[in-house]
Amino acid sequence: MPKLEKFAFWKRPMPDEWRSRTFWKDTGWAYIYLLPALIILGIFTFYPFFSTFRLSLYRVSFTNFPGTYVGLDHFRYIFGDRYFWRALWNTLIIVGTSVPITLLLALVVANLLNKSLRFRTFARTSFFLSYITPMVAVIMVWQLMYNESFGLINYLIGLIGVDRIAWLNSPQYALPAVIILSIWRYVGYQAIILLAGMQGIDQMYYEAAKIDGASGFQVWRKITVPLLTPQIFFLLIISMIGSFKMFTEVYVLFTGTSGPLKSAETLVYYIMRQGFFFTPHYGRAAAASIVLFAIIFIVTLFQMQVAKKRVHYQ
Amino acid sequence: MEATHTGRHYVVRQRTYRVALYVLMFAGCAIMLLPFFWMLTTSLKTQTEALRMPPQWFPSSPQWQNYAKAWSAAPFGRYFFNSFFMAITTTIGEVITTILAAYAFAKMKFFGKNVLFAILLGTLMIPGQMLLLPNYVTIARFGWLDSYEALIIPWLVSVFGIFLLRQFFRGVPDELLDAARIDGCSRLRFLFRIMVPLSKPAIFTVALFKFLGSWNSFTWVLIMTNSPNMRTVPVGLQVFSGEIGTAYEQLMAASVLAIIPILVLFFFTQKQFIQGVARTGIK
Repeated sequence: MPKLEKFAFWKRPMPDEWRSRTFWKDTGWAYIYLLPALIILGIFTFYPFFSTFRLSLYRVSFTNFPGTYVGLDHFRYIFGDRYFWRALWNTLIIVGTSVPITLLLALVVANLLNKSLRFRTFARTSFFLSYITPMVAVIMVWQLMYNESFGLINYLIGLIGVDRIAWLNSPQYALPAVIILSIWRYVGYQAIILLAGMQGIDQMYYEAAKIDGASGFQVWRKITVPLLTPQIFFLLIISMIGSFKMFTEVYVLFTGTSGPLKSAETLVYYIMRQGFFFTPHYGRAAAASIVLFAIIFIVTLFQMQVAKKRVHYQ
Repeated sequence: MEATHTGRHYVVRQRTYRVALYVLMFAGCAIMLLPFFWMLTTSLKTQTEALRMPPQWFPSSPQWQNYAKAWSAAPFGRYFFNSFFMAITTTIGEVITTILAAYAFAKMKFFGKNVLFAILLGTLMIPGQMLLLPNYVTIARFGWLDSYEALIIPWLVSVFGIFLLRQFFRGVPDELLDAARIDGCSRLRFLFRIMVPLSKPAIFTVALFKFLGSWNSFTWVLIMTNSPNMRTVPVGLQVFSGEIGTAYEQLMAASVLAIIPILVLFFFTQKQFIQGVARTGIK
């Protein structure tokens, strides 16, 4: 990510290259190369992005688009809506649990797959499968396995003496059901990324540690983890953004609803519900998505700052 | 290492350690594979068997006709055609736009480059659902609702792909470009004759992610289409699950079918596939 100072163009003298004719010729060519991408991004990303900010101030109507101007009413509405706060809270719980748990498990798995064990190609494939298979299809089988009366999961936990859990029918367990599913889905992907990082670490570090007589755990803590920080950081950012955006898991697992009494409603589900389901209030959806964007933006900036201090490149 | 630890104690400990590692590894595999096993076995059960408690691990006799029943219970043929058509066209189109854009960022000096690149990276933070309604309005204005245009055209670019390819293109030495230019090779020719063949693995990664993304795409298709004719496999499957009641064996059969194309792709390109995914994490 370029540093912020880079953008302070008014502080810098005019670059020499601006005087060169080839530079401007190249600029012309470069934009021709970029044109297809920029047109599509312009229509389907940049324009709707700014449009959302505008629409959050209107009571949106399709007959005389954008509709009536209402100022900040939608923001007032969502900040006074307890379902909004609940959706925000649920989203934070998902981010706060599934992100660290997935990453920790992925570290263990990657470490395991990095050892010279037999069948590890098989193991790698098994861990990876959940990530590549179409989400809706795997959610279908989880829905079946979570079933209270004949689901496999209740049967298996029954074997160790745990009572039946109404995974999909009780407000208490709806969110954990979503979180477990999401951990299962992403742990293999994260492990593959970490494994690639581990295999990219120069063996010289390990040999040096061996000569110095470092213990296995010391090597892990002082060499492997620090040198994996680029991968860990990358995974933290994308899994956080991904968890903030969680929607399909909830929608499909609870057959189009957001769980009993909306107990597993995420921010994006809230946005979708306000914007598209039942009686659409698009302005509210737009206001809520601006809040979500602001949260993701702040969290990402914060992570970038931390990364500057903590990420070690070889 | 071995020379310093030859005690019997050490050997025993080392062996227990390895056994523990294997147990851990296979337990992990079992958890990861269980849902797939369950999907497959349920798809071959009778309805009574599928709803039995305690669950039955294997069907008494495999009910292959569940697949035929599921296939004819909803227009899955059409869903599969739509999914393939969407995935293949978006993949080809995206690879082309991405190669061009990544090349400009990697190898050309131009006005506004850094700012533009930072803006593009910034779009990765935008939740897609935030853009859904304005896009719905745009698509409706273009008259593209419930059409292939809506499924394909907005997905012909990927910022992530541009970022990934740019990193790879930057690794190709500038001297190669200079030499080619001196020999009178045009830029575009250089790009497609030299750069692209050199970057096959990275391009494969970009294409793969697009294909997976399109095959899995759910929310967009759900909102932009409304006739069964335009549904893709994931949306078709979701609708099917709402209509089927407790015929879980058919739902599982349909889910297995939805997974098969990706599995085939995976098993044919396993090595490149895993490397491709691993590549996304390397900066």
